[in-house]
Amino acid sequence: MLICDEYLTPASLDEAFAAMERHRGRYRVVAGCTDTLPWAREGRAGDVEIPVLIDVTKIPELNERHVGDTRVRLGAATPIQRFLDDAALGRAMPAMPRCAVWFADDQIRAQATLGGNAVNASPAADATPCLEAHDAIVELASSKGRRSMPLREFITGPGKTQLAEGELLTGFECDAFPGYGGSFEKVGHRRSLVISVVCLAVMVKLDRDGRTIEDTRLAIAGIRPVPRRLREIEDLLRGKPLAGALLEEAADMPLDLVQSRSRQEYRRDVVRGFLVRGLIAAAKRAGASPDALTRELEAAYG
Amino acid sequence: MVDIHLDAIINGRKVSRDVKPHLRLLDFLRDDLNLTGNKEGCGAGECGTCSVFVDGVLMKSCLMPVAKAQGATVDTIESLAKSGELSVLQKAFHKAGASQCGYCIPGMVMAATAALRANPFADREEIKERLGGNICRCTGYQKIFDAVELARDVQNGRVPATALLETDTADGEVIGKNVRRIDAPSKVSGRLKYAGDMTMPGMLHVQVLRSPHAHARIVSIDTSAALAMDGVESVITAADVPGKDGFGVFVHDQPIMARGKVRYVGEAIAAVAAEDALTAKRAVAAIKVVYEQLAPVFDPDEAMLPGAPVVHDYAPDNITKHIPIRVGDVEAGFAASDLVIEESYSTQAIEHAYLEPEAGLAYVDHDDVVTVVSPSQNITHHRHMLARIIDKPISKVRFIMSPVGGGFGGKEDMIYQGMLALLAMKTMRPVRLVYTREESIISTAKRHPSRTTLRMGLMRDGRIRALAMRMVCDGGAYGLSTEGVMRKAAILAAGPYAIPNVQIDTYGIYTNNTPSGAFRSFGALQTQFATESQLDIAAERLGLDPFEIRRINAMRDGDMTHTKQKLGSVSLMRALEAAEQASRWEAGAPTVRGPSRGDLNHDDVRPSVTLGTRFASGDASSEAAE
Repeated sequence: MLICDEYLTPASLDEAFAAMERHRGRYRVVAGCTDTLPWAREGRAGDVEIPVLIDVTKIPELNERHVGDTRVRLGAATPIQRFLDDAALGRAMPAMPRCAVWFADDQIRAQATLGGNAVNASPAADATPCLEAHDAIVELASSKGRRSMPLREFITGPGKTQLAEGELLTGFECDAFPGYGGSFEKVGHRRSLVISVVCLAVMVKLDRDGRTIEDTRLAIAGIRPVPRRLREIEDLLRGKPLAGALLEEAADMPLDLVQSRSRQEYRRDVVRGFLVRGLIAAAKRAGASPDALTRELEAAYG
Repeated sequence: MVDIHLDAIINGRKVSRDVKPHLRLLDFLRDDLNLTGNKEGCGAGECGTCSVFVDGVLMKSCLMPVAKAQGATVDTIESLAKSGELSVLQKAFHKAGASQCGYCIPGMVMAATAALRANPFADREEIKERLGGNICRCTGYQKIFDAVELARDVQNGRVPATALLETDTADGEVIGKNVRRIDAPSKVSGRLKYAGDMTMPGMLHVQVLRSPHAHARIVSIDTSAALAMDGVESVITAADVPGKDGFGVFVHDQPIMARGKVRYVGEAIAAVAAEDALTAKRAVAAIKVVYEQLAPVFDPDEAMLPGAPVVHDYAPDNITKHIPIRVGDVEAGFAASDLVIEESYSTQAIEHAYLEPEAGLAYVDHDDVVTVVSPSQNITHHRHMLARIIDKPISKVRFIMSPVGGGFGGKEDMIYQGMLALLAMKTMRPVRLVYTREESIISTAKRHPSRTTLRMGLMRDGRIRALAMRMVCDGGAYGLSTEGVMRKAAILAAGPYAIPNVQIDTYGIYTNNTPSGAFRSFGALQTQFATESQLDIAAERLGLDPFEIRRINAMRDGDMTHTKQKLGSVSLMRALEAAEQASRWEAGAPTVRGPSRGDLNHDDVRPSVTLGTRFASGDASSEAAE
């Protein structure tokens, strides 16, 4: 049970900083609360008494959304469901709708926020590998000023970030990838409401004929302490003709990706299959030429 | 605490009132507004019984601090059939039989309503996906999906609205007809009151102190600080029990709260009744217990060894129950067999996971009748046990069975009703206890974990000559239904097969684990898992078809079971035939089935698990290049 004496809903960043200053050492910042409330239960943190909860989801800046041709800016309180509801956003971040559909369930993603997913820094977070594939920059603010840094520097370990005392994550700035095909592969113990054992975000851009890989972005999570971009695979694929053998070669690169504490062998098998399957799916959505990939390959990795 | 002044529109009515800042929207709806149609099943966003619309978007109200509903429009299950007329979806749930215990159904109806709002033409796979955040334990979901498809078709005019009505049963005959459940309207509307939904004026809230130790002597319990707290009405321990303490289905070995020592983690030690649940919780935390650790035993085989820690003094060998069965001469049978197979099997503890966590309400009525309302699956037995425990004549003890939000055997034991009765007697006020999901999992009975060794002797033609089985079950800290489970396990161990020589021993053993109790199939699962698995192994070794080896050994009409019950009619052959057809079985020994198997990938076989049907249906206009 999460017990508080006061629940504050500041209407601006300044109000939030003032509340954080006023209740220094006695508060916790919350957003969607979809992780905080289950955390404060028996078996995890148990009954937790926090004098002041500061809910930042009503701050206008944290709800901003700007989708440009090359850049996307999203406030930290953006609910995950927005990637399914907002067509322009989905086009600019093509793996994200696929990620969203696997994220918790229809109801929780209406409440869970992108910022919360990043600040929690779970190794199994679904949204962070997607953000990583977009070279996301996190924007931080405190009463003393603002700073920003790449997401890959922000998340330093399981549950650990560079967020400082008195500081809020306000938003993300990402590269936009319109015209790319996106996919998101995830496995857990069931479909909905499941923590990823492995998850993979893939984006692919093909040439006009749908035969050559012009660009690709991949990032993986669930198998190591923090999400990891797969630049080696991106470099291998970039500029090459789309072909099953190439995708399998990419999946077979000896990268030692799996560094999880458990089920390593299983995860290695899954990663290999996900890489090929994710690349096939993303390439098809990017308009792959019908004869670029064989039906046998698709059946083998379907 | 600084109250929040909440203004919201709830089920179409303006609500403006002060609320406690730590409440979740679910608490506010259920406790402050008495809108109990939506339930709490897990409190962690896993089950969806609490799903409500917030500004038209379905949300899990157990994951939402009430302050987030400031200025919002909230609609609960009660809003769907406001004037008493069920919505099309609710009628479809009624018609399709899409409710059993009913506890998940308000959330299911809400999720289905949201699904058809999002896509009025959603196909079955998309419906499944959109209902993915809601769990049902009873129905297997198929009837729920049937109901949503029926409602969709009625709404789209593809099926006439009369399809929602009862099929005509000429001359009133109902047997063999598909009739609607009479209790379904109360479940699909959320109007049915489970024990945790019930309130009474002046009601107190109960919380329980539970043992952190598996095996420890209780040196002392100091409840003085808890009793001194504002709002605390009573604190009870085993010392407050007026009669002969002890309950259980076969042996009354379990006190209503730990007496002298604790025997498992999660065992109740003391209970508090207070004006509100939070005060009761804080009082529980203020109770001081001094323990002296005792050596615990967690493995039933170790518990049977000489010198093992003793869980109950009356059973120095830790054997709760041993059921032996002897038919014929198994050693002679094995000697005469062409093939003898010996294997070991084990099964694990399983939680019943009914959607309704345990809950109960108790009061002493105007005639001094101690009354307990709870989803007990065995109220008459509980009533007799409780009368002895609280030292009252049976005429002064009453049990009322509230709707059972799923039981599966898990609500057969009188685990908490004794504490409630005692607190009602102490305070002379109504008292209510509602378990959290975690409390339910930690403290209540599970399926018996088992270890089985099985020897089976067979002739070359597949006939079983002899079967010898020894199964050791972990009964946990208390007896509960263990004796009955061991009996049933032994009776059914040899399966529906005519075997001339049988030797069966089932043992229920005390350990310091969570007690094991009744669970669907009641022991048959554990022994038959071994027997049926062994038959498959035997089929492989003998080159026989697995169906055939079962037919060869099947009991027939008029046969005698190995516990000397004469069978009038045996339906096994029909069951085997039906299973063979439904599975598109390819005849032959297990070893001959290869890559060309033809039983897979048919239209009625579910494809591999994935998500994203809504993209294919065009709902996600966000697709880049599709």
